[in-house]
Amino acid sequence: MKAPLAGIRVVDLTMVWAGPFGTRLLGDYGAEVIKVEGPGQWDLLRGLGGIPRTVDRWYNRAAYFNHNNRNKYSAAIDLRQEAGRDLLLQLLAKSDVLVENYRANVMDNLGLSFEEVRAVNPRIVYVSMPGHGKTGPEAHYVTYGTNVEQLAGLVSVSGYEGGEPLKTGFSYGDPTAGLAVPAAVALGLRQRNRTGEGVHIDLAQRENLTGFVGEYLVDYSMNRELRAPAGNTHPHFAPHGVYPSGGEDRWITIACENDEQFGGLCRAMQQEELADDDRFATMATRKANERELDAIIEEWTSTWGHYEAMHILQRHGVPAGAVLTIPEVMSDPQLRARGAWSEQVHPDAGTWEVETPPWNLTRTPGHARIPAPGFAEHNSYVFRDLLGLDEETIARLYADGVTADEPNVQSHT
Amino acid sequence: MPLPLEGIRVLEVGTFVSAPYCGRLFAGYGAEVIKVEPPGGDIARAHGPFKDGVPDPETSALFLYLNTSKRSVELDLGSQAGRDAFLRLAADADVIIENYRPSDARALGLDYERLRAVNPRLVLVSITAYGQEGPYAEYHSNNLIAFAMGGQMFLTGDPDKPPVKNGGYQADYQGGLNAFSAANLALLAAERDGEGQHVDISVQHCMAPILEAGVPFYSYNGLWLGQRRGNLMSSFMGVYPCLDGQVGVHVMARNWPPFAEATGHPEWLEDERFATAESRREHDDVLMAEVIAWAAGMRKKEAYALGGEFRAPITFIHTMEDLLESPQLEARGFLRRIEHPVAGEASYPGPPWWMGPDAWRDGPAPLLGADTQVVLAEAGLSDAEIATVAGAPA
Repeated sequence: MKAPLAGIRVVDLTMVWAGPFGTRLLGDYGAEVIKVEGPGQWDLLRGLGGIPRTVDRWYNRAAYFNHNNRNKYSAAIDLRQEAGRDLLLQLLAKSDVLVENYRANVMDNLGLSFEEVRAVNPRIVYVSMPGHGKTGPEAHYVTYGTNVEQLAGLVSVSGYEGGEPLKTGFSYGDPTAGLAVPAAVALGLRQRNRTGEGVHIDLAQRENLTGFVGEYLVDYSMNRELRAPAGNTHPHFAPHGVYPSGGEDRWITIACENDEQFGGLCRAMQQEELADDDRFATMATRKANERELDAIIEEWTSTWGHYEAMHILQRHGVPAGAVLTIPEVMSDPQLRARGAWSEQVHPDAGTWEVETPPWNLTRTPGHARIPAPGFAEHNSYVFRDLLGLDEETIARLYADGVTADEPNVQSHT
Repeated sequence: MPLPLEGIRVLEVGTFVSAPYCGRLFAGYGAEVIKVEPPGGDIARAHGPFKDGVPDPETSALFLYLNTSKRSVELDLGSQAGRDAFLRLAADADVIIENYRPSDARALGLDYERLRAVNPRLVLVSITAYGQEGPYAEYHSNNLIAFAMGGQMFLTGDPDKPPVKNGGYQADYQGGLNAFSAANLALLAAERDGEGQHVDISVQHCMAPILEAGVPFYSYNGLWLGQRRGNLMSSFMGVYPCLDGQVGVHVMARNWPPFAEATGHPEWLEDERFATAESRREHDDVLMAEVIAWAAGMRKKEAYALGGEFRAPITFIHTMEDLLESPQLEARGFLRRIEHPVAGEASYPGPPWWMGPDAWRDGPAPLLGADTQVVLAEAGLSDAEIATVAGAPA
């Protein structure tokens, strides 16, 4: 069955994480994605692989780059040269979607604004995803993923109970912006199909993520009271937390949302009398005596492995889950049973496991079809097959440095 | 210009956060979203925080936020009559969003084959912790547990303390946004092919791949750091206390010169310990002490303005008060004032992305069961039937 985005061509100018993750999802679900990098302006993730620069084509071997750029083709075009800009506009004339995540004014300065692209392709769905959006007094500020969650208000409500604001353990603002890209593109394509006209989508990463803490904003606006970080606790439920299990730095989460689940926890710990104990008999008293209860639970959890405790508790109907490390995530039986990983062979980088497309669209499934492209690997496909350029023109593009088969390795140090 | 999703009809049989957030995005972009609530309403109505701290099912901030621009039908899917009425609604729907455990969903009549029999174009979106099949499919979960099983929790927190979840319901929101993207791809395919499908969202599968470089470095290079790093990721990435809050720094190699200028330390650029990204990593402790000392003497908005002026990635930790006062959000009109008949007026986040001036709408969350009568009558139920399935109409 045809994938949802089959027949849709995407020109991808994004770099680093948020954008490439978003366009990878487009490729996962059937779009033809052409990643365009400049010979001197290549995706800096190519250089963050820890691969010594003495190794041949080190820039094609970085795990982080290859992870975020599978299901894409690669062409090298220097957009700062007039001939490069013309080439990109020729490609855009034959495409459906453009995605870019430059700072707000970069595309305009390159002469590639929405209006300029629309002049060559009135049906283009043009997606900009800068940190702050395309407009406003902070539009030109530089931001990365950790900045985004700070701007969104998330960090101010994260952290240990009674503690300082705390960042998420990874650049959370990046993937949360990337996840919005397929929906934004689908809405744009739907509108184009209906009206026959292109659309400019302005996805400000900080605004998208502010949507993930909207209840705090509504609350503050109604009550004018700032909420302190609450750690792993919940405003009503107890027990609700993380408990040590056997092993070094291994943990299990337990969260009981009603009396029945708490009864299950007591049976699992073989301490059924706790369910009738005045301190713990109702949700309200459990919440009031949460620390005492946590101490009892800790004593039990530390005698089990985190997976073991999870399975025992789940058999008693208790919401519980192991705090998985990255190696454990990759071997987790549920993710394995779901087919969450598949092997990918890359001509330069070798064979390793990548995750499969995350959403199971049962009638029109996604696929990890091709590995991440080497730098400029598909120049010929783009220049000859798609744009129909003659050999003389192509030779001139190479001679003038508008394109190249290898990146200028001096440009990122 | 019509709204982007105008003409799409969505039934949301969702509780708490993930399915309602997906439904909120559908409603904002113009779909008609009918929220099917169990008798007594979605549990988010009982969650709070409430206006003035007084519990009321119509003033819970969590519910108010997640359910803007929807209609509410109170319907007992635990009864056969309720499930029959739901099937009548499903015959006319484009999308159903639900977030029950697979066996619980089937008990409520949310069985894909049965729904497909009455409406082959229907897209059924199921958001669960683990997906529809597999050894944990029937395991109980919630936001805390999903954060743990998706690998994000282990990474978050201080090295000498237990892992900690981030604020609010982040795993649930991720589930909701993943579901919205997936649902809209399925909707495109349904409009193209005339055929719907079951969309199976596993929050664990959505979360596991986005651990930054964690999975690729482990999978490909066999490298795994195995340690939480709190706010002090490194000298060039972290959150540092300042005079009136905290500032955040995320400096990539190319931002190093503007960062040194913005912090008023051009001499760092002459210091050979800090000459390259590699040498800065070697002298991370020294540089971090310098950055901490710089931050400690700054006011947050002043540091942010310097970041903007010098194009250095410096931000400050925005509280909810800062968001309401943000000149950037103000200039873009991101925050919306919405009047609710019981909770009154409040500010709400606007669209996650802009598609022109009239692509998003801001209606209040519905009162419980406000549309039961009208919606069920539209579906062809008689007054007597409506009284049977819904109790006394609102």
